[in-house]
Amino acid sequence: MDCPTCETLVDAYVDGELSAAESADFERALGRCPECLRKLEAARAMSGMLRELPATPAPDLLRARVNRELGAVAGAARPAMPRERMRWSAIAASIVVAASLGWLGGNLTGQGGHETDELVAGYIRVAMSDRAVDVVSSDRHTVKPWFAGRIDYSPPVHDLKSDGFPLDGGRVDFVDGRKVAVLVYQHGQHKLALTLWPSASASSASAQVAQRDGFSIAEWRRKGFELRAVSDVTSDEMASFAKALDRALDSDS
Amino acid sequence: MSSDAQKPDAPRPDSAAVERFRTVVLPHLDDAYGFARWLTRDPVAAQDLAQEAMLRALRYFHSFRGGEVRPWLLRIVRNTWNDQRSRSGANQQPLETIEDRPADGPDPEQNALAGDRRRHVAAALAALPEEAREVLVLREIEDLSYKEIASVLDLPIGTVMSRLARAREKLAVELRGRLGRSEHGLPDV
Repeated sequence: MDCPTCETLVDAYVDGELSAAESADFERALGRCPECLRKLEAARAMSGMLRELPATPAPDLLRARVNRELGAVAGAARPAMPRERMRWSAIAASIVVAASLGWLGGNLTGQGGHETDELVAGYIRVAMSDRAVDVVSSDRHTVKPWFAGRIDYSPPVHDLKSDGFPLDGGRVDFVDGRKVAVLVYQHGQHKLALTLWPSASASSASAQVAQRDGFSIAEWRRKGFELRAVSDVTSDEMASFAKALDRALDSDS
Repeated sequence: MSSDAQKPDAPRPDSAAVERFRTVVLPHLDDAYGFARWLTRDPVAAQDLAQEAMLRALRYFHSFRGGEVRPWLLRIVRNTWNDQRSRSGANQQPLETIEDRPADGPDPEQNALAGDRRRHVAAALAALPEEAREVLVLREIEDLSYKEIASVLDLPIGTVMSRLARAREKLAVELRGRLGRSEHGLPDV
């Protein structure tokens, strides 16, 4: 600590902030001062450890959200040109592919990663699309009958507005080759997709919430239905959604 | 939660400006998100922050006078973060959520030993107070120069240097607590 060079120059040297002449002076001083050398090695070791931290690229969903906003701003200034529209659909397609690829290793559900892939791809379609739902209504008496004739079961439909999750509407999607009901809820700026189908098991299983790549995913079983929810809300918000839905399901006779 | 903070008096960018923004600023979305992750220490909040910052950057894009984009964008990320926090009453993310999370690596099957060390390093960095964390991230992860860091943090260069030195001392202490002394090669302070 009695060498003033150590105090003032080691960091600047490691950070590449010294001029050529200053660097040369510093290197000469190193030969005379073991303390400087020791500090230099420590500084390099720490820098190396920080630099080997893996980069975290922006998730596809964030990229898509930003692109959608940019498209909206550009579109508001002037009607979107066909070229822009084409580019957007290309981006959207690549997101679904990328998300599916990224999820192949996942095994969140007992039934393997494939189902989760399909659920997330479905969620991305919901979150990205301007027409997220095929039937737009917060009224369960409109949404529930809409599914009749489109799928081979009748899903329970509840608006959870009083819990902070108003119902946007419904759509039909495919999971494991089967047509399933998807209910779309809103939470602040976020959308939440609830996919549900009749369960082979009569028992209930309480909601498990997992985080992957910025998505929250919940899976549970209640009242004879398999329930899967995907969204970009936090885990806590997802858990409170599941609780609110459970209360609504239990209130059904 | 986030809002896009689009003020009614802001000049609305035309579609040519949006195109230019896509070319000049959008390629740095990864940097904005990476910095946002270290600021928020939460992957979901980081997405909201990065999105709001990108929209704010678009709004300010007319005043961007060329030069390096990344410091300009990261400064907006940081200012947006400060605004978001003051809006939500400055509630800090509890640290446990960081340390419980497996490392930040996108590849969970990376070499276990290196992965373990990275996890400790990431946790040590995440545990630092914000003033230390942000300056280290800007230097070592975003690889900005002192001058660029000074512009992001709106500080004189001398202050950047002294903050960086203090941050490194703090990180060394954190690391010593997490890694065996023998394996990381960091001597006593």
